This record gives sequence, structure tokens and C-alpha cells, in this order.
Amino acid sequence: MPTVVLMDASLSMTRPVSLDQGSEELQRKNLAVAGLTMLFEHMASNYRLEFTSLVAFSSLWELLVPFTRDYNTLQEALSNLEDYDKTCLEAALHGVSNVVQQEWGHACPTQVVLVTDGSLGIGKGSLRHSLQTLKQRPEDKKFPLPFPFPAKLFIMCIASAEELQMTDTMDNLEKLLQLNGGDGQIFTMEGQLCLKSVQSMFGRLIDAAYSPFHAVLRCGNLTSDVQVFPRPEPVFLDQEVDPLPKHVLTDLEIVGFIEIGDISSPPVISRHLVLPIAVSKEVDDVGAGAPEELEEETSANQQAGKAPNFCVLLHGSLKVEGMVALVQVGPEWHGMLYSQADSKKKSNLMMSLFEPGPEPLPWLGKMSQLGPISDAAENPYGEDDSRSPFPLQPPVKRSYAQNVTVWIKASGLQTDVQKILRNARKLPEKTQTFYKELNRLRKAALAFGFWELLKGVAELLERECTLLPDTAHPDAAFQLSHAAQQLKLASTGDSQYSLFEHNINPMHTDFSGGGVDILL
Amino acid sequence: MKLFSVSHKTAFVVDHCPYMAESSRQQVECDVLTKSRGQGVIPLAPVSKSLWTCAVECSMEYCRILYDNWPQHMIILNFLILNFLQVNYIVSDSEFHILNSWRQEDQSTHELMSALAAVGPPNPREDPECCSVLHGLVAAVESLCKITEYQHEARTTLMDTADRVANRGRIICLTNAKSDTHVRMLEDCVQETILEQNKMAASSDRLMPIQQCELVLVHIFPQGEDTLVSDRPKKEVSSLLTSEVHSVRAGRHLATKLNILVQQHFDLASTTITNIPMKEEQHANTSANYDVELLHHRDAHLDINFDFLSSLLLCCVGDLHMAGSTSRDSGLKETVTLKWCTPRTNSVELHYCTGAYRISPTDVNSRPSSCLTNFLLNGRSVLLEQPRKSGSKVISHMLSSHGGEIFLHVLNSTRSTLEDPPSISEGCGGRVTDYRITDFGEFMRENRLTPVPETLDADASEKIPSERAKAQLERHTRYWPMIISQTTIFNMQAVVPLANLIVKESLSEEDVLTCQKTVYNLVDMERKNDPLPISTVGSRGKGPKRDEQYRIMWNELETLVKTHVGGSDKHQRVLDCISACRSKPPEEEERKKRGRKREDKEDKSEKNCNKDTEDKSWQESERLKGALDREKEEQVESEVIKDSPDSPEPLNKKPRLEEIQLPEKAKGPVSLLTMWTNRITVANSRKHQEFAGRISSVNNKAELYQHLKDENGMDLHENGKAAR
Repeated sequence: MPTVVLMDASLSMTRPVSLDQGSEELQRKNLAVAGLTMLFEHMASNYRLEFTSLVAFSSLWELLVPFTRDYNTLQEALSNLEDYDKTCLEAALHGVSNVVQQEWGHACPTQVVLVTDGSLGIGKGSLRHSLQTLKQRPEDKKFPLPFPFPAKLFIMCIASAEELQMTDTMDNLEKLLQLNGGDGQIFTMEGQLCLKSVQSMFGRLIDAAYSPFHAVLRCGNLTSDVQVFPRPEPVFLDQEVDPLPKHVLTDLEIVGFIEIGDISSPPVISRHLVLPIAVSKEVDDVGAGAPEELEEETSANQQAGKAPNFCVLLHGSLKVEGMVALVQVGPEWHGMLYSQADSKKKSNLMMSLFEPGPEPLPWLGKMSQLGPISDAAENPYGEDDSRSPFPLQPPVKRSYAQNVTVWIKASGLQTDVQKILRNARKLPEKTQTFYKELNRLRKAALAFGFWELLKGVAELLERECTLLPDTAHPDAAFQLSHAAQQLKLASTGDSQYSLFEHNINPMHTDFSGGGVDILL
Repeated sequence: MKLFSVSHKTAFVVDHCPYMAESSRQQVECDVLTKSRGQGVIPLAPVSKSLWTCAVECSMEYCRILYDNWPQHMIILNFLILNFLQVNYIVSDSEFHILNSWRQEDQSTHELMSALAAVGPPNPREDPECCSVLHGLVAAVESLCKITEYQHEARTTLMDTADRVANRGRIICLTNAKSDTHVRMLEDCVQETILEQNKMAASSDRLMPIQQCELVLVHIFPQGEDTLVSDRPKKEVSSLLTSEVHSVRAGRHLATKLNILVQQHFDLASTTITNIPMKEEQHANTSANYDVELLHHRDAHLDINFDFLSSLLLCCVGDLHMAGSTSRDSGLKETVTLKWCTPRTNSVELHYCTGAYRISPTDVNSRPSSCLTNFLLNGRSVLLEQPRKSGSKVISHMLSSHGGEIFLHVLNSTRSTLEDPPSISEGCGGRVTDYRITDFGEFMRENRLTPVPETLDADASEKIPSERAKAQLERHTRYWPMIISQTTIFNMQAVVPLANLIVKESLSEEDVLTCQKTVYNLVDMERKNDPLPISTVGSRGKGPKRDEQYRIMWNELETLVKTHVGGSDKHQRVLDCISACRSKPPEEEERKKRGRKREDKEDKSEKNCNKDTEDKSWQESERLKGALDREKEEQVESEVIKDSPDSPEPLNKKPRLEEIQLPEKAKGPVSLLTMWTNRITVANSRKHQEFAGRISSVNNKAELYQHLKDENGMDLHENGKAAR
């Protein structure tokens, strides 16, 4: 989930923070930079794969750093930040929307961290003004929220809640959050405005959105500690039926394995890297007994690199065999583990999550009904792996898989009638197809109450009968007049002849050698 | 969409009054004469559909698209009611006829067709005064109160919060209304009936009150006539009921209208696949390009980017302009065009797919449509490309069938946030090179999943299939070394039969026999002194000696089997067989411990002789030296040097002992197994000296740590570590 940091660079950010000690004069901007520095440092060490970009805004906005994993660049840009004029949030949010869409498209969930002092401008272009005119806008000048992509909005206020509540700022920010679908949070500073409280505020943000997700991957008794990146987000299904979100458990339990061809590119709601990690316990065992931090970590990683890890084994075999592991991540929630190649050299263990629910993939059936092959009387994959129990067939065939009759367009009806006539001219060789087509038309005509058609086709058949050449097989005439008569009877609506399930059968004749005998 | 939105239930009411037998006055020429046969034949007069036929076939088309696009059991259950009337010639008494129920078995076009045929077209000679569509509407409201299987299921699982399951529905009424007042009367009637039914439903278990109802009235009139009813957009009649009126000419217009309605009601959108190459029937060696239009859930268009959409809007405007003369309705058609990419390979690939939606061709039995669907149903997948004037090609969708259902897959076509991740070889365990990749592949094949049919009389105590799959994984991994150098037995072909069988939940007699055979086979190998595939990684020199190799192997085999002993007596029998056959009886473990204790005390090196510590061969050899020194004085203790299963064999010779001791005291008739075991034991006992403890044991039980009593105080040896 990429992050956009939207930094308020307006003049009001340079307001000094009143400190009792009066030692060094701090601006609100300094506090904001300190908080962001903390966030960047945290990400650099614990959330390294996150793409982050930095946008500064006042009355205009500027993309200072495009999406990157290089936190030094971000830090540098932050420290070189200049001061500009007034706050105009609407334009800046448009900017964020553009930046994200250009890079990631419309489906990528994004986190927007807005850092501001809470003075949101005055007059035109101020947030208050934007929100007031929300409903009177033409189509091309809509407010940028909600974003066209799923987004979480975190508003970091370099101000206390009381300060914001004195004006209507808090209400406006809350309204902003609502416009975004309620996804996000407003953070304010607790107590005095100082470095400590800004750090505690960003600490809360880190806990809420940037703490690494650790889990245990299990396959029976084989286990591995893993980090799942990005963090799996809670999912709301239908808020009406189940208002509580579904969370991914920290126990990822493999249920079994399925071939890639059988699972066949299933739809997923998110993708995550599954990275094996060395748990600190093991580090202790190795005897690195010192504080923590980077050097220890690398040495611990080196040690861990040499100890066999289940993730690596699993990844290798999934890759070689072309299979996926079905993994249960919660009650009635599953995903799949597979080898994902980034380039020829690099590949990784990836987890994709399916839509929560008992049956996320119709062609696999209910997840709870997937059992071991040893449960089946005979191996469903065949002794030589030539068969597969997948995909499951739906109980009812779809319209395109059965020969449905649709006469909405005249051409549909004409084709069906012509098909009958074509076969009628090739009687008795085509007796079987002739009656098959005839019965199909009869059924549809009865269902649609289209009796006039039955009469019409009966007349057509009678005419065909008179047009038969002298060389025609004598059976042809019999079959045609028999069919015509049956259609006429059906068109009367007489229940004896117009039963839907009833079929017109070929007339039994004594001519030997005709195709009729084969049918009887 | 909410699970129980208005789209969960749809009730169709089709008017069956005599007026509907009127001709739609749209004529269909069904006798198309070919040029060669034209002469002298009088063509058949064109046929025309009645209003009834038009209404029925259009509502069937609505159902067809619906059934194609939604899973049968889930969101939608369809319902068709006809206002069918029977006139008794004394009292004109009208009745309605319900064609199907909410039950899943009834939800198919075939069922509906069959029921429709039984109803037949309306009789134009009936008295129009005694029938009214009202009866149908009342029945529709009643049916909406009836609970569907899916609602029932949801209510049962939610238990306390069952009231969260909502009951909403939609009534689509195809009729010929007399006037706007007539329409208002119908609305009022529906409103009243809902109130009435809700009262009844409140006190019933099988009924649910209606929370929201959408009434869609479609007024049908023949071609060439003026409508008496005006169109009206959706309006709220009450908090429970909304109503809208569509006034449509029968025939083509009605079909278009219902097609638009089904798209609105079920959030469908249209995609046109262009450039599909198809062989011409007449000229088999040429191919022409065709277009096929598909309907599917509109979310399949979510990812399509903006510039593309805007160019599309332009297309639509263009279409509108061209189609302007024909009809307003057809101009509304919006479709996204995607280009066919002829599949080049049949390789299976796992695409990153963000959604998969069922499709339904708009023109299901046209030749291009059936060509496309048959191609897909035969198991081929087709990638679809966004048409662009410039830039690289963007594959954004894929058409693929799964078990007779065709899905439009949405593929991710934007930059991935997971690009350039650290390779797995850089992380934990990444430097290890001898993983048992092939063996684990085999393990995965054995643990593939298969759908197990649901049994109705499922035993509550029996585990559900997925739990059984997990239990199997647990059994199969009780002893599963991950790297080749950690194992001996899994590198041996000879162990395979036993290793495959022992993980089974229960063993048959035959299985036990196979396992025993495997063990005998190993004994035989040992007798012949066959080499074992023992890893030499981590040990110096040539690695362990042959007999030590076998010891390691037996220990490992025992470890494997021991993890399954809890399973059944038969598993125990396999373990017994191993214990009996192997060169080193398990009692030795105890002997070893005791020996080590003593050794610790005496050995100046003060090594911690943790039995489980592996790969500490240098310690072993240190200890070995000490042991060898002692050997001269205390020959009894020489067995001490044998340690944990994986430690390499010390380089020294073992003492050969002449004395023969039988550890087992056979009672009663001697079985072949006992004889064999004895023989082996005797043979083996020649190679080593019997454990002192066992010699002096009572009933095969020896007291441990006797020396502690004799010698130093307890404090020194509490943890088996010398405190000195």
C-alpha cells in the first residue's frame, strides 16, 4: 500500500510553539518534520518495502519526491522544505489524486498522511469554503474526495484537539474523513506542543498503519515465522449482515495443495509477500546477547540464512511443481501461497487472499469440502496424474452451454426455421436432426405461446412435401406430413398434443434401408 | 452490493388477460426463399407475435441473462408469476398461477419454459371484465414475504442477530394498463397488500415482512398504436414501496427495454470483444473478424483507466449519432471495447487477477457468440487488450471458462507495489542449498485436495474434509527433515514403502507386513554391509563407519515410527519390529545415559554431554578419547561412545566380545520373529559388550544413577553437569 505524505508548507506552519523554558524557538513546521522523520526512520527499518512519496502544498502543490523506497531522499527533501503562502487543501488533494493514479492506477489501495497545523485557509480555496460549495459544483470541478482509488486518510494535526475545536476546523476535518468513506483517522497532539508529544502522535500512527504484520506459517508440524507485507487489511463483507470486519489471523495454516492449472488465475482481493523472519528468541540462542539494532540484525540474519527455513523449502517445491498451497487465514477465509518470479533470478513466496466466504472460487466448490485425496475411493488425479477433480461443474448449465432458443431478433427465428427446412429436404438421411430441430422449435413455441408459428411451420412442411422431386425417397413424404400434422395438433393447445415434455417422434414406416430404422 | 438487496428476489408478473392475445403487429418473415427455389412458390405469410409472446420471451431473456451472471444459490432467486385466469361460466372467478418457487431447483430457464408451456397463451374470447393483473400483483407481494433458502441459511447461522437479514424485493409487472389512473390504482393495491402481508409475516416463522419493494410496471402496447400510459421515473410511494412506469411498444423495443432494465437492476455492464477471427462457412480458408457483445457485472470495468474511458465516451456519442434515426433506446447502449489476442501457447500461468465475473452473451445464439463461447468452453483462455492508438499494448482482461461457466477475469495492468522484493535466497534459510525440494514436491502431490461431496447424513463427530486435510498434513510432517544432510532414511529407496505407509491414519494387516518386510530388508542390507547414503557434511575424514551408519539409520527410523505409535496398535507393531530387529536395542539409550553420567564424573574434559546436541563431533571424539583410555580399565563402559543418532562415527575400533548374552527371555513357543530377532541379537551382541545395568537387572529393570548414592553428594550432579 503506497503512502503519500502531504505536507502543509503554508506560512502558518512557521508559527512558533510557545515553550515555557524559552530555550530554543521551535516552529510547528519543526515539529512536523520531527514527526515525519520518525515515521521515515521507522519505515526504513521495519517497513522497508513501502513506496512513499512527498507532496508539499500551500496555495499550489508540488511533488517533491516521487514514490520511492529511498528514505534518505525523502528525509533530505523534508529538511530542505521551504515556506510558502496560504493553505489550499482542495488543490492539494487533487494533486494527490493525480500522483497516485498516474503511478498505480485506480485499484491500488493507498494511504495518505496529511500533516497540517489545522489552519485550513480563509475565503476561497479554504477547506471551509470547499465543503460549503460541495453540492453546487459542475461535473468537471468536483471535490477530489472520495478518491477514485481506495484510500485511507490519516490527518496529523500539529495542534491539540482543544485548539481545533475552538474553531470549526475539527468539524471540517471530520467532514473530510466522512467524504473519504470514513476510512482513516484524525490524530491530534496530547498535552503541550513539544517534540515528545509529536513523537507520541506519530507513534500512534505507526501503530495504526505501519507496524509490521508477523505471523506463523504452518504446514502440519512444519512452521516458519514470517512477515506478511503489506499488512493484510481488515475486510468488511456486508455491513448489514455482519458489521464486524474480518481480520487475517496470525496463524496461517496450510490446508493442502492444488495445481496451478486447477486453481486457474483466481480473483484475489490483495497480494502479500511472505518473508521468513528470524525471531528474536533465536537471536538470543545464537548468543548475540547485546541491545538490538542494525548490526545485530544483520548478523542474526546471516545466521538465519544458514538455518533451514520451511518457507524456502515450500517456495522451492511450489515453483518446481507448478502448484499453489491453499492457506486458511481466518474462519471461512482462504488464500493461496505460490512462487512469484520478479525477474529470472529473483523469486519470492507470495500470498494472495481470496474474498472471505465459504465459496470464494466456484470452480473449487466449498473450501470446507476440500479434503485429502486419500478420502476418495480412487485417486481423483488418476494414477498417472492425467485427470483432475477440478473444475467443478455448476448444477445448472449456463445459457451458452445449452442449446437455448431466443427469437427476439427475427434472424434467430428465421435461422431456426431454415434449419428445419434444410433438413427436411435431405430426408430420410437427416431424419434424426430434422426431428431434433423440429422439437426444439416446438418446445420454444409452446413456452412462448406462439401457436401461430406452429401453424406456419406446419404449412411450410406441407408445401415442402408437394415440392419433393420424383426421385425423393418415399419415406420423406411420410415424415413431412406426419411432422406437419403433429405441429398442427400442438398449435390447438389441446393438452394431449401440446405437452412441453412431449417430443414428436419419427413416424415408423416399412421402408427398409432408410435412416428411420436406426432410430427405432 | 448488499447480500439481501432488492435484487435478491425478483417476482415477474405477466398479464394473462385476453387483451394480451392481441397481435403485436410486428411481423416476422420466417419463410426466406432462396433464389434457386423461388420460382412458382408462394411464400408463407409472415407470422406475428402476440403481446403475450413478446412479454414472455423478453422476460425469459431477462431471466437468462440473470441466471448466466449470478451464482445459482447466492444473490438472486427469480420468480415468475402469471396472472392467469380461469373463467367459470357462472361466476367469473380469476386466479393466478405461480410458475415456480424460490427453491434452487426451480431456478432455471428450462423449468420456467416448461411451466409457461403448461399455461399457454391467453384466450382472446374470455371476458376481459373478469380478469385483472391485480391478482398477480397480490400473489407477487405474498411471494416476496416467503423466505428463500439463502435467507433461511443466513438467519440460521446468524442466530441472535437474525434480524440483520433483510427482506427486500422487486416486482416486474408486464401488463397492458388502461390509463395513468389504472397505474395508480395498481400501485395503491401493491402498497396495501404489502402492509397487510407484513402484519401477517410478523407473526410467522416462514414469512418475513418486506422492508423495501421496487415495483417496475412495464406497459406494453402494439405497434402503430398510441400509448395511454405515460412513462414515469422512479418515485417513492411510501417508505416501503417505490414505483416506476415504462411505456413500451411490443417487439424489439420491449426487448431493448428489458435488456436495459436487467443491466440496471443487477449492476451489469457491456463489453464488446472485437477482432475475433472466425472461419467463414463458405470459404474455409479465409477468416473474417467478428464482434461479440457480452454482459457482466460492471465491476469488471473498474480498472479501466480514464483516458481510455473518455475515448470510449466519444465512441458512444458517435454511435448515438449514427443510431439516432433508429431509436432512442438503442442509443443508450454503452459498451467497452476490448481486442481479442489470439492465444499462442497453452501453458498454464497464474495471472494476477483482481476480479472474475460471469458473462452472458447478449445475442446468445448468433453464430459469432456461439463460436466464441464454444471456443472458451473447450478450455482455451483468451487475453483481451485495450485498444490504444499509441503506446505499448495493455492486456487488461482474460476470458476463461471453469467447468462450463465462462468468466471475464480482470488482470492487473498497473505498476505493482510489490516490485523488486528481496529474493527468497537473501532471507532466512536462503543460503541452505540442500533442501529436499523434490521430496517436498512429492509430499505436496500426496497432499493435494479434492472436493468431497457433501453428505446429508453427515456424522457430527466426523471432521469436515478440510480439517481432515489438515490432520493428514500434521501426520505426514511429524518427522520431516527439511534438508538432505539431516536425514538418512529419506535418502534410501529401501525405506520408501515403510515411510509411505507409516503416516497413514490406520494400517491394514498388509501394510504392517510391508513395513515389516522393509525392516527385514534393512536388516539384510546391514548384514551384507551395503553402503548407506549418509551425508558427510560437517564431519571430518571419510565420515562414519558402516556399522555406525546403520545405527544412525535405525535411530532415525525409530524416531519416525515413534511419532506415529499413538495412532494404533498396528503402528506399535511396526515399532516393535524395528526395536526387535535393529542391531541396537532401545534399552541402550538408558545405558548410554548412565554411562555418560559416570563418564562425566571421571572425564576431566567436563564436556556437557547433552544427548540432543548434534554436530558436535569434536566433542564426541574428545569424549571418545577419554572413553578409550578408560576402556582398558573398564571395558564395561565402552558403549558410552555411542551417542546421538546424527553424530558421526568415532574413528576407533570397537571391542569384539565373545560372550553371548540373550537379552530376551523367550517364554512359550518360539515364533519365527523371535527366532530371527534372537539370532540378530546374538549376532549383534558379539560386536559389543552387554550393558552392565542389564546384566545386573531385575526383570529387565535396572536402577539408574546408583553411583550417586555411593559417591559424591547430590549437589554436584543435580543437572547432570559437574559443578566443579
